[in-house]
Amino acid sequence: MKTLRREAFGIVTLVVLGIVILGPMATVTLWAFAERWRYPSLVPTVWGLSYWSETFGRADILSALPVSLALSLTVTALAAIICLPAAYAFARLKFRGRQFLLLSFLATNAFPRFGLYVSIAVVFFRLNLVGTFAGVVLIQLVNTLLTMIWIPTSAFGNVDRALEEAALDVGASPFRVFVQITLPMVFPALAAALLLTFISTFYEAQGALLIGVPNIRTMPVIMYTLTNNAVVVQYGAVISLALWLPSLLLLSLAQRFLRGNTVAQGFGV
Amino acid sequence: MQSTRSQPQSFIGYLLIAPPLIVMLVLIFLPAGQAVVRTFFIEGEVGTTPTLANYQIFFGNRVSVNNLLFTIQTTLITVSALFVVCFPIALYLRFSTSRIAGAVQVLSLFPLVVPGVILAFALIRFIGPRGTLQTLLDLIGLTGYVSPYLKPSGIVIGLIWDHIPFTVLVLTAGLRQVDDALVESARDVGANDWQVFRSILLPQIQRPALIVFCLNIIGIFGAFTIPYLLGPAQPQMLGVMMLQTYTDFLDKTQAETQAVLSFLICAVVGILYVRTIARKAGDR
Repeated sequence: MKTLRREAFGIVTLVVLGIVILGPMATVTLWAFAERWRYPSLVPTVWGLSYWSETFGRADILSALPVSLALSLTVTALAAIICLPAAYAFARLKFRGRQFLLLSFLATNAFPRFGLYVSIAVVFFRLNLVGTFAGVVLIQLVNTLLTMIWIPTSAFGNVDRALEEAALDVGASPFRVFVQITLPMVFPALAAALLLTFISTFYEAQGALLIGVPNIRTMPVIMYTLTNNAVVVQYGAVISLALWLPSLLLLSLAQRFLRGNTVAQGFGV
Repeated sequence: MQSTRSQPQSFIGYLLIAPPLIVMLVLIFLPAGQAVVRTFFIEGEVGTTPTLANYQIFFGNRVSVNNLLFTIQTTLITVSALFVVCFPIALYLRFSTSRIAGAVQVLSLFPLVVPGVILAFALIRFIGPRGTLQTLLDLIGLTGYVSPYLKPSGIVIGLIWDHIPFTVLVLTAGLRQVDDALVESARDVGANDWQVFRSILLPQIQRPALIVFCLNIIGIFGAFTIPYLLGPAQPQMLGVMMLQTYTDFLDKTQAETQAVLSFLICAVVGILYVRTIARKAGDR
């Protein structure tokens, strides 16, 4: 009886969430394949693909894609160089204040995002970093620190020390142990952290909007314009779908390596 | 022996963690601190003197005060609504192992893979005038749909959508920390659902609930994309107002004043958050 009541709740929740969560994305998907869609039709009145070539023929979109990719790659690489050695230190080395310093990265959660970006923008304006590639890289780096430290720290911490010691005992050099034993064990989590960082940077819009204009325009920044002055709905719909589907795929891959708990721990739970 | 071994280790440790610490200090704490100093002090001929002039300008303007109140109101409504929506889902996910529960979990985490700009775009086509929702309601005979797009309720809907995954994730993780055996044994001695909830689940969920509460308040208070794209031209949320002040009015000092106000208001819950996570570290 109790199970029945519980699962009845589950079914109602499933239906409501299905409509509310999937409805908007389904609508965008349909718009991307519509030549014409007039109210009150539930599906496009005329189907077609012509807006795909038209969208990707637009000069602003063609120039934004390489900018977005270059930015995300640079930020991810920089974040890895800065954070991965630190994650190793946090997980494996003993030093005073380790726990406190690790927690201090969580304190960055305590800043309201846009206010922080505005105060960074004022500093960057004086340093002539506004409208530059470097300026956008730096503001996007802000968001990557937590992911790049927290997930790898927990991965390095979970490595079975006995295996490493056994290898050392039979005469392997510490470097060889690191490359052949430690690295393969943490690789999935490191890959997931890199992927998450890349994706979230690729979609980062607010910092890029504030610092990048007018010279650096990323794909998400163009989405602001396409949403606000949408005479043709299809442009925005095609870009949304093209940007969103790869992330869905990549994230479902990454999800295998990330347990919900690791993510929750990143907020201090 | 021990000290000679741990000395270089701690030196290397500090060396390795220095880069991200420096980045955090230079890119987060320094600009935020400078903004506080710049808005509360004025540089004159006789040196730097404290001033409230920037804040008097903000609070002397009816529009900006309205925007601030609107931001607080929207934040409180959204955070409460998130609890009402997500807590039952988290409870259900904690106790059910059915395939329906699996599907509910996937759906509630789904917004994680939808970036804010795309979400806003999609919601406009869905809940906007003559959007899919209106079409669906028409089909079942419900006419007279009033779209929340460009209204305060549009912001609330968008922000709820955006924050469901985080809220469900943390609350469920919190509830999973409650031992099954504990719940079973309480049931064995005759506790009903309400008693199990009150005496076993509620005390355990306090910490995660507090963290969700704090981070949702900070996240929603500092939101930009959703209110910018889904909200009305007036009143504005603070994030939208900041962008307008900064890029349209080119008034950097007032934009910073607004930013510092958002820091100060969020600091209240920010401190609560930091204390909550620090307390757990102490327990370990």
